[in-house]
Amino acid sequence: MKKTLMKGNHAAGEAAVRAGCMLYAGYPITPSTEIMEHLSARMPEEGRVFIQAENEIASIHMVGGAYCTGKRAMTATSAGGFSLMQEFTAYASDAELPFVIINVVRSGRGIGSLEPGQDGYRQSVYGGGNGDYRNIVYVPNTIQEMVDDIYEAFDTAEKYRIGVIILTESSMGQMMEPVIMPDYKFMEGQPEWAVTGTHKWDRGSDGLGLKRKAWAEKMERMTAEMQRWEDSGLEDAEYVFVAYGLPSRSTGEAVKALRAKGEKVGFIRPQIVSPFPAKAFEKVNRDVKGFICVETTEFGQMVQDLAITVKKEFDRNVPVNFYPYGIGVPSVKEVLANYEAVKAGGYKEVF
Amino acid sequence: MKECIFAGFGGQGVLTAGLVLAYTAMEHELNTSWLPSYGASMRGGKANSTVKFGDTPDEVIGVPMMAEADALIAMNRPSLDYMAFCKPGALVLVNSDALDSEYDFPADKDVHLIPAGEIAYSVDNAKGASIVMIGSLMKLTGWFGKEEAKQSMCNMFAEKGKSKLDSINIAAFDAGWDAV
Repeated sequence: MKKTLMKGNHAAGEAAVRAGCMLYAGYPITPSTEIMEHLSARMPEEGRVFIQAENEIASIHMVGGAYCTGKRAMTATSAGGFSLMQEFTAYASDAELPFVIINVVRSGRGIGSLEPGQDGYRQSVYGGGNGDYRNIVYVPNTIQEMVDDIYEAFDTAEKYRIGVIILTESSMGQMMEPVIMPDYKFMEGQPEWAVTGTHKWDRGSDGLGLKRKAWAEKMERMTAEMQRWEDSGLEDAEYVFVAYGLPSRSTGEAVKALRAKGEKVGFIRPQIVSPFPAKAFEKVNRDVKGFICVETTEFGQMVQDLAITVKKEFDRNVPVNFYPYGIGVPSVKEVLANYEAVKAGGYKEVF
Repeated sequence: MKECIFAGFGGQGVLTAGLVLAYTAMEHELNTSWLPSYGASMRGGKANSTVKFGDTPDEVIGVPMMAEADALIAMNRPSLDYMAFCKPGALVLVNSDALDSEYDFPADKDVHLIPAGEIAYSVDNAKGASIVMIGSLMKLTGWFGKEEAKQSMCNMFAEKGKSKLDSINIAAFDAGWDAV
């Protein structure tokens, strides 16, 4: 199959077309807008629906409306746009309605900046809206992986009747890499939960209890089935790096350089962060001296999930280190320098 | 892995020149990444693109941001700041038309002054200064063969529906090749 050089955001839009997305409703926000730009041409070309809504709240509700009738639908946004959508994601989670959102994170609080960052982690993983729910969150680190994740995302959302977020960073949306686009596919048949006007389907009179049970089962099932990560050098590792997205590419380079120098370092790269890939940690050397979380947040977000996982996995208190990289993407040099600082006891572990 | 920075003002073709290199690498079955400057710089002023590609088809590209470049194409004077992101011994191709005074280049860089604008004008491709630089870059680095690189350049423009520019782009490439 022929490779094409594509901008991340254009590739993301095209992947949704290939995955059988029948409706895109969105509101432009940098740095996600090129997804919408691509689909504004491609959806009508394929005889599908493209809507530029009046705002993000309307966009995600239109996605939900389409999914109610059993049709694949998606939106894309960033930062404050994602915040606005949380009214609906909470609602959809209660109604067990699938949805797919591509969250091209730009860093910062409120209006924020245009720089890449990973501070949309908690909002994406833990739902972001009111009530207790989770999304399934893919965190690709190449454009090809992002395309493959989006291609799978609709199936995943429908299988678990849950929200699926593709969590990327502004630079992933703007950069180009060669990609192979998958073949066209479509939703097979009609889901039993689709509103067709011909039958009634609900959880019955004990709605709340049954919903709780359904969510508990969903959490258990997806936690077991959606463990996905890449790892290296865990068996004899003294220190294990954990990173996702673009920082995982700096970290991967750093790990390679350290291994070449004979340093015993390992690497876990979650490909899905929700559910967190706890299974990856079973392979880690029992005498590991510490974990090093590389993420571009100011106070640490993934590091909390990491710390909980490490606490559960080890009988002793294994230090979990985190350096606040803030915004952007850390360079290999920075990752290496902070590794030396951790080794030398230069800064104290956070957990 | 190889890394090359293309920098200049918006409109000088530094994003497009980067695309030519990335496209050429892709057509050689190499992994590659192209990262443009973004944000304020995209809205006028300084612009740049960073291209990385593997030495072999198996080599994966790490972080796509500029770090330790093997080559810098500087289309204007402010772009010379990016020498800070170049390896010792890195190739620095400078558009000498944009240097209005003496510049004190560091001794550890392989600097080539190329009047890219003037050369482009002489082959009737006034907007092709960055393509001139691509021709010079390909010759000095030997990363890709002359004919193959030109073919990839034309394929890239064909995908954008700009094949009608092939003859003037080839002329600019050749002129850049011959200038060094």
